[in-house]
Amino acid sequence: MNKSEISLGYQQAVKTGAGGRRWRLIRSNLDMYALLLPGLVFLLLFKYTPMYGILIAFQDFNIFGGIGGSEWVGLAQFEKLIHSSDFMNVLINTLVISLYKIVILFPIPVLIALLLNEVKRMFFKRTIQTVIYLPHFLSWVIISGLFITILSPAGGLVNEIISSFGGHPVSFLTDNQFFRSVIVFTAGWKETGWNAIVFIAAIAGIEQEQYEAAAIDGAGRIRQMISITLPGILPTVVLMFILRIGSLLEAGTEQILTMYNPLVYQTGDVIGTYVYRLGLGQQDYSFSTAVGLFNSVVGFVLVLSGNMLSRKFLNRSIW
Amino acid sequence: MRSKTIGSLCFDAGIYLFLTAMGLITLLPFANVLSKSVSEEWAITSGKVGIFPVGFQLDTMKFVVTSSQFLHSLLISVIVTLVGTLLSLLITAMTAYPLSKRELPGSGILIVMFIFTMMFSGGIIPNYLLIRQLGLINHLGSLILPALINVFNMLVIKSYFESLPESLEESAKLEGARNYTILFRIILPLSAPVLATIGLFYAVSFWNDYFNPMLYINSSNLKPLQLYLQDIVMNADSSSLNRSADDLMNVPAEGVRAATVIASTVPILLVYPFLQKYFIKGVLIGSVKG
Repeated sequence: MNKSEISLGYQQAVKTGAGGRRWRLIRSNLDMYALLLPGLVFLLLFKYTPMYGILIAFQDFNIFGGIGGSEWVGLAQFEKLIHSSDFMNVLINTLVISLYKIVILFPIPVLIALLLNEVKRMFFKRTIQTVIYLPHFLSWVIISGLFITILSPAGGLVNEIISSFGGHPVSFLTDNQFFRSVIVFTAGWKETGWNAIVFIAAIAGIEQEQYEAAAIDGAGRIRQMISITLPGILPTVVLMFILRIGSLLEAGTEQILTMYNPLVYQTGDVIGTYVYRLGLGQQDYSFSTAVGLFNSVVGFVLVLSGNMLSRKFLNRSIW
Repeated sequence: MRSKTIGSLCFDAGIYLFLTAMGLITLLPFANVLSKSVSEEWAITSGKVGIFPVGFQLDTMKFVVTSSQFLHSLLISVIVTLVGTLLSLLITAMTAYPLSKRELPGSGILIVMFIFTMMFSGGIIPNYLLIRQLGLINHLGSLILPALINVFNMLVIKSYFESLPESLEESAKLEGARNYTILFRIILPLSAPVLATIGLFYAVSFWNDYFNPMLYINSSNLKPLQLYLQDIVMNADSSSLNRSADDLMNVPAEGVRAATVIASTVPILLVYPFLQKYFIKGVLIGSVKG
């Protein structure tokens, strides 16, 4: 008999047979199920009902007919999707932006954690941490407001600096050449400090004796950083990397929605923004649901594979 | 004390320089936009404003924070955040408690069903059609109800409940207390730290949410702050696409945009000390749990 059984209070329940015990557990805990009820209704209504709604990806959905009264078209929407040059474009944009974000932005928090660890002045360390965590708590709307202002071609700070060096002002947010860079930079600006927290905690978990032993062996600080700290946080780094790969198809829908405009659809339109515009703007419900489903399924496979990898190599499940 | 070598000193200097640069890059946009919000319009448009105000004035700021639309949106955001956070905390805890009892028949399958929704969802359009069907378009319920339980938050609370000593529950049980009494009288008071953390998680996500309002709210009467801000930010931006003399006239001025951004940031700044403290705890609960 384990603790949980005692606390549920079924000393007698245990004595009866397995089936009877289960039934008694249910009967004597009806109020537990009452507690669960709102959560269950939430789960079924707001999480699973939309999954049923995915059926419209296989229909030519008509909002007045509903799912019952719309024509079934099999995989026609997916055929359209494969042949759509718009879709290919957003898929490529999604992958490119996402890969840029991973390649450029993933290592920086690790570096910051390593460097912060070397700082012995607590006041300096705390101040830097306080400052660089802050943007995490701001909404994308606020951040795009900040950056639209400083990147503005008319009197924006960055362009004033460019001009003062004799360059021509750049319209960063309407120029396909620069838009992705702005997206990657602002994403880094918002989350880099925050993403370092996990690594800072991992560093704190490394045993101090290792450093002492290394110091006696004459290892310098850089040597210690490379041979002790880095290997010490490697499992965390790998885990975070796997998690990150799991969201490969999420290139930052909310972020891009607050920053893009028709002039940069060519380089900045991603799956999420495309689904939004097509579905809610043009009311092409079935096709946009098909695009969304493609997104969900690939994302699901990525997360599952990531979890498998992490179980296999790190002996640690993501959830 | 071992004496510092020159190499070590250079190493330190490099680190301090790099980290200071990171801090400055973070602060610079704030300094610039804050300065613009209190500068004269001519100074802003002629690009004179760097990190200090030029021609200090508070009229723009006063205009922004006393505008009735701003105040109204602020009120909507406060209502959604307060009601949403309290309701979410209550329902999340009520769900987490039974699920923390592994012996309870059905809890295992429910946990799997919850976790599955972290990895797979119906997507934007089926969600939208559901909200529409429920009659929640242009209703504040659309901002709260679909976000009542965040599965990650629920799992954090669940594992916290699991870590509590069971002796208190046992004795209450022996005295005939019902499960809900135990939850509300014993478990929840003991869980104040985790509830504070998760409460802040919820509050920030309700406060910062603009995706749901964008999908479900189009009546200007019900626009929360983020959506109002988005209108101002985007209007000013899209007009710079085809900038002509006519357009410039009806564009919300740069200064107004800057002041609105700053005014919308202040509430988060006010609670930032708490956020920092509790969020870091929350992040670590989540990651250590693994």
